[in-house]
Amino acid sequence: MMGEREGYCRMDALIKNAKKGDHLAFAMLFKENYPFLVKYLMKITMNPDTAEELAQETMAKCVQKIHLYNGQSKFSTWLVSIATNTYIDQCRKMKREKNWQGQEEIFRKLKWHFESRNEEWNDCLEALGRLPEDVRIPIILKHYYGYSYEEIGEWMKISPGTVKSRVHNGIKSVRRELKLGEETKSHYPEQQTTK
Amino acid sequence: MKKQKVIILNSRQQNKQDFETIHELQEGLEKIDQFPVYTPNLQWFEQIVIQEKQNTRKKLIKDLSVFFIVALIILSGMIISLYQMPAIFILVQIITSIFIVVYTSIRIMKRANHI
Repeated sequence: MMGEREGYCRMDALIKNAKKGDHLAFAMLFKENYPFLVKYLMKITMNPDTAEELAQETMAKCVQKIHLYNGQSKFSTWLVSIATNTYIDQCRKMKREKNWQGQEEIFRKLKWHFESRNEEWNDCLEALGRLPEDVRIPIILKHYYGYSYEEIGEWMKISPGTVKSRVHNGIKSVRRELKLGEETKSHYPEQQTTK
Repeated sequence: MKKQKVIILNSRQQNKQDFETIHELQEGLEKIDQFPVYTPNLQWFEQIVIQEKQNTRKKLIKDLSVFFIVALIILSGMIISLYQMPAIFILVQIITSIFIVVYTSIRIMKRANHI
């Protein structure tokens, strides 16, 4: 408890110094939050290389926007909001420039990382990777990080209702993809019982 | 009554399946969290900060220069026209005022219609 409070105070001091223009304070803030940021980006992009590139871009944006950070939320939450926007902007840009590879390939590298570490690949992640990014991001933010629909809506510039329906439909399509075989098998017995 | 029971049972089953899917998703995402991430040293982060500040400064200087150059061109044009061709100067003033009034009223009307 005491350690946590000390951590907050230290973080506050670093943020204050960073706002004053202290490079070292900025660097320490980033170093402390870097693994969290990269792992978040890895989850939403499903690509470790893109995650590292976007983490750099996110940090650069933080330097520009530090005066906008009001301290109401945790610094890591603020980083998540900037990282989310950076990724959405990148996707839009790629779609505009027609560099979009589609949803099929994006998790291939992550799958390879899993295999190289002898970790079992989770089919759920594959289903999540097949979802469009504007559905995948709210699912991760809501069900893994526990942010509210309002917060997610604010970051993604959509209404909380839209976030809720995207999460709901996203979960439904993940479920459908995972249990497609089972559902088709159990489809007939289920109908029989309702009769 | 029977139909209602079936609907309730179906929605319960659906909620259970949703819960299981979310749980599986969380398990998969947790595995990503266990991935070791290489964190570069403090100098690397400091370099990013310094580089970004330099870029911002360069961009600010560039934007300000463009602004002053454009302002200078417009002002010199206006002053030249005022002393050399006062009729054109007055005409430009009138056209600009009319344009501002028309543009503002169209914007206000559009906003009012939208509300």
